[in-house]
Amino acid sequence: MELLALKSKLFRKYLYKEILFKLNRWTISSLFIGFLIFLPIGLVILHIGSFTANWRHITDTVLITYSINSIVLVLATVLFSCVFGISSAWVVTNYKFPGHKIFRWALVLPLAIPTYIAAYAYFDILDLFNPFLIWLRSSFGLNTMQLANDMLVYLMTALIMGSVLYPYVYLLARASFESQGGHFINVGRSLGHSGKSIFWKVVLPLSRPAIVAGISLVAMETLSDYGAVKHFGIQTFTYGIFRTWLGMGDLTSALRLAVILLGFTLSILYLEKKIRSGARYGDKSTKSLSYKRNYLKGKKYIFALTVCILPFTFGFIIPVSRMLYWAWLSKNYLIELNIFQLTFNTLTIALLASISTVVLSILLGFSSKYFKSSIVQSSNRFASLGYSTPGAVIAMGALILVGYVSSAFNIIISGTMLLLIFAYIVRFLAVAYQPIISGFEKNCDELNDASKTLGVSPVYSLVKINLPLIKNTLIAAGLLVFIDATKELPLTLILRPFNYETLATATFDLSNQAQIIESSIPSLFIIFLTVIPIIYLNRRIGEGR
Amino acid sequence: MSTILTVSNISKAYKKNNIHALSKLSFECVKGEIVSVVGSSGSGKSTLLKLIAGLEIPDSGQIILNDNVVNGESIFVQPENRNCDLVFQDFSLFPNMTINDNIYFGKNAPDNKSMIGELISLTHISDILSRYPHQISGGQQQRVALVRALANKPSLLLMDEPLSHLDSALKESVRGELISILKTLEITVLIVTHDAEDALTMSDKTVVLNQGTLEQFDTPKNVYKYPNSEYAANLFGMTNIIPLKLLPDSNYFFNQSSTGQDVISVRPHQIILDHGKKSTSLPEFICQVKNIYDNGRRCKIELEYKGLLLVAEIENDNLLNIGETKSFYIRLN
Amino acid sequence: MPTSLQAQLNIYSHRHYDSDKILFKNFTDKTGIEINVVKGSADQLIQRLISEGENSPADLLLTVDAGRLHRAKSAGVLQPIRSKTLYKNIPTSLRDPDNQWFALTVRARVIVYSKERVNPNDLSTYEDLASSKWKGRIAVRSSSNIYNQSLMASLIDANGKRKALEWAKAVRKNMARAPRGSDRDQARAVAAGIADVAIMNTYYIGKLASSSDSKDHKVVEKVGVFFPNQKGRGTHINISGAGVTKSSKNKENAIKFIEYLSSSEAQDVFGSVNYEYPVKIENNKSDLLNSWGPFKSDKLNLSILGKRNGDAVKLFDKAGWE
Repeated sequence: MELLALKSKLFRKYLYKEILFKLNRWTISSLFIGFLIFLPIGLVILHIGSFTANWRHITDTVLITYSINSIVLVLATVLFSCVFGISSAWVVTNYKFPGHKIFRWALVLPLAIPTYIAAYAYFDILDLFNPFLIWLRSSFGLNTMQLANDMLVYLMTALIMGSVLYPYVYLLARASFESQGGHFINVGRSLGHSGKSIFWKVVLPLSRPAIVAGISLVAMETLSDYGAVKHFGIQTFTYGIFRTWLGMGDLTSALRLAVILLGFTLSILYLEKKIRSGARYGDKSTKSLSYKRNYLKGKKYIFALTVCILPFTFGFIIPVSRMLYWAWLSKNYLIELNIFQLTFNTLTIALLASISTVVLSILLGFSSKYFKSSIVQSSNRFASLGYSTPGAVIAMGALILVGYVSSAFNIIISGTMLLLIFAYIVRFLAVAYQPIISGFEKNCDELNDASKTLGVSPVYSLVKINLPLIKNTLIAAGLLVFIDATKELPLTLILRPFNYETLATATFDLSNQAQIIESSIPSLFIIFLTVIPIIYLNRRIGEGR
Repeated sequence: MSTILTVSNISKAYKKNNIHALSKLSFECVKGEIVSVVGSSGSGKSTLLKLIAGLEIPDSGQIILNDNVVNGESIFVQPENRNCDLVFQDFSLFPNMTINDNIYFGKNAPDNKSMIGELISLTHISDILSRYPHQISGGQQQRVALVRALANKPSLLLMDEPLSHLDSALKESVRGELISILKTLEITVLIVTHDAEDALTMSDKTVVLNQGTLEQFDTPKNVYKYPNSEYAANLFGMTNIIPLKLLPDSNYFFNQSSTGQDVISVRPHQIILDHGKKSTSLPEFICQVKNIYDNGRRCKIELEYKGLLLVAEIENDNLLNIGETKSFYIRLN
Repeated sequence: MPTSLQAQLNIYSHRHYDSDKILFKNFTDKTGIEINVVKGSADQLIQRLISEGENSPADLLLTVDAGRLHRAKSAGVLQPIRSKTLYKNIPTSLRDPDNQWFALTVRARVIVYSKERVNPNDLSTYEDLASSKWKGRIAVRSSSNIYNQSLMASLIDANGKRKALEWAKAVRKNMARAPRGSDRDQARAVAAGIADVAIMNTYYIGKLASSSDSKDHKVVEKVGVFFPNQKGRGTHINISGAGVTKSSKNKENAIKFIEYLSSSEAQDVFGSVNYEYPVKIENNKSDLLNSWGPFKSDKLNLSILGKRNGDAVKLFDKAGWE
């Protein structure tokens, strides 16, 4: 009891010091900005509201369904992503064979394709199985056919999503395999282990944190997808949120579901953090020994090639070629579509979003690190929640915010670019913040101590030391946000201003009207816009910037 | 003689494991003095420097720099305003700037051009001014870090393990250079080191830190000769802890906390072998030679005296055999 | 002399058909009024109208499904309109009793059946689809779709909640596969042999027939169109329609626009380009629609569809119809 009292006294003293001594222009503005960015999500959580009869209905009927479906879909997608991502990363890192250099960067390309476009590209894939299903019914009866049909839906959806999401696992696994370099693999070899046994016993366990990080990204993307699950009819949480809000007109219950989903994603992140921090995996980026790689010939070469070609084909070649074909079929539609206006709009938002998130991340990250303020650090974590929150939920929060602002200040912010960009910032801040704060940590912490004792102002340190040192990280962060912002759909659908369409909304609208063929044109533009930064980033990572 | 730095009852604990890095530490630095802080790793030395520089905040206590309270109950002066520079263990040179830009980075540096010019020639770094930190050697980096700190004309210079990154041959020469520069500039310096050799050769006073508490504050020589604890004694080199009752003539002793006995620290070179000249004034011990280690100049001898294990250091030209029993004498300070 | 304010019309539209683009253009050419459109799903648009309140820039809500229009009315975002033209052009059962919304097109929810495997004499009513003879033979889209919900609402009104729930349970059991895809996908499933009958809206059949994919033409050739409940209350119909927003700053322009859409010129465009029935079904000029023959439509006041929507969704959930 005494210990508790002592601890709380110490804590209060600590807090007091934190607040008193670390309050300045930087930290105060960071806290304010962090609060603002968290606000939409906070409003969503607040609006869980009172227990409605409708909620009872939801818990009685569909809540379990949503949960099970979400879990099954996530697990299946993660499975495909891991199979595709880990195997190809291993093959590309550990072996030499004709084409391995190309595959090394090409395997990342499916990231250019959002899950909803992948779903449209494969929209009729299930029809391929019709003859098979009919045969099943005639041979084994209706029940068998229905069972097979249900399984196929999940299988195909997971396969499609896994094909475009595996690069998350691939990239992280590849980085981990490469940084382990020669050390452990050479040791393993000298102790007589074969390639396969080294992989399972040494390399994979060591890469666990990286792979887990990749898996959590895949899981989050899967959970927040709306286009693919809507198309294939899988009732996940996100699907349920839209249905409850729009189908039942019950915003409150939809928000409750959103909070449950948020809790779900947060627990994934928490789990991931626990798994990763559990061991010291040698975080320091030391230069890795390049080790002698085995050159593959014959059967082994074919096998390796297959491992690389399969994901690339499913995740990139098939979708893109189908859409190129469709674009050719609908080339007359190009003019009607006003594709250049769409592209301009998309580029504008993406650039504004990436620039503002980078600038804000610099402010928030620098304030946290330079002044060693744990309050700002916590506030930043809250502001980073947007990435774990589905875009639709953020839009809902933004609309609630709009309601308050409208009634209080009698001004219109709904339907403006300002609101849209704000919502994008809420959604994507974490994408820029994570690498930037990590860049500050790795490169600048000690140097900032030095510059402080030399008597210079924080601005001087920021401009002369920090920014030049993390220049590459800033560019990478901006590009990452650009890629995500270009692909963004649900948030834009809800918050867009008058006459404002982006490539993503155009794709969705066309597909929704079952004009999937024509939707290929804006889809291809999206892919084109995202492929370029992806290749650039990939090359930079490869160089070991 | 004005006091540049006063540290009063400074305490800091780390929340993670609630270990106290520093516990009610108090000492002073007078202008122009070089004070070393010696202790084994984990004794809180680096934390102390960070607190004085303002890079971290103590839990309680006061720090006064240049007659200004920089740390107090509700006072905290930002590090930028303390005029107190820190030379870091790994130098922390800014990698994206030339040596010249590094040196002139400090707030006051542009005002001290002539002094900086002298420092540059004193430290022989004028030919590397246009290079980048990764292009110069460790020894050169150390000198650049020093010049950068001094260029700012601090009232107090802090140095964190300034020589730990240098190999032993370099250490010797750098030590000498460092002292001559510091004394020439009449700078007040606080050096943190785990190497007692640094303390002995460089500092006027030394603070012995044990797990965050001050164990002894005296000149290095006094700590070497008259350590007040086993810890302090061992810090400054190998020593023999001998019960006071065996050497009753000693006017110095301390209480060994583990046994409660009063003991004396006797350095290995204080145990001598008489060549045949009888020095009857010295206490005599008849010991058995257990082991002989020859390391070139000197010999380390392990002796046994009535169950007590001793280590002596003697000149090499004595012919001793293992298992022999001989008379040894202890020369008290 | 129209000021810039007068020459504007801001529309929140759920409809995104090519026919609309033509009509917007025609209207602007005729009247000089600029049209600004925000497209979205009806529910999101209604939500947005609610949030924006009286500061909303929208003048007109254009959407499909009577249920949605009713919901907009209940949320208080529409206002009553006086227009003799509209009263003349639009039948009473197809407008809000308080004149807050007006139908502009009609679509019927029909049964399509495989010409090879189904005898049209076996078909009669929606309710009949629950019988065991259809086990494993039906294809319908998800219950989250508003057209199914409105159909269900009409069934609740006609037969009561208990019977409607039983019907939904039975039809779900009779499905060849779990609900998936659009109305057109259901027709494709019938053509492929997965199912024998499907429920879908009439204009989608038209879209299949005019699709750029020749496979869709074959689908249309393989299926026949059946209007259920002809001996009883009539086939369930739904509408797309419009209402003027309460916050509208361009009320006159909005009324003008709805009146234009109800004119025979505009109604013909709906029919020819989008295969929708005009509000006066007998005025239909499309060949394809005429080929299915005249039919008796349910004269239920469509605001009921909105009133019963909540019940419909809940019953679907209870029935396990995804």
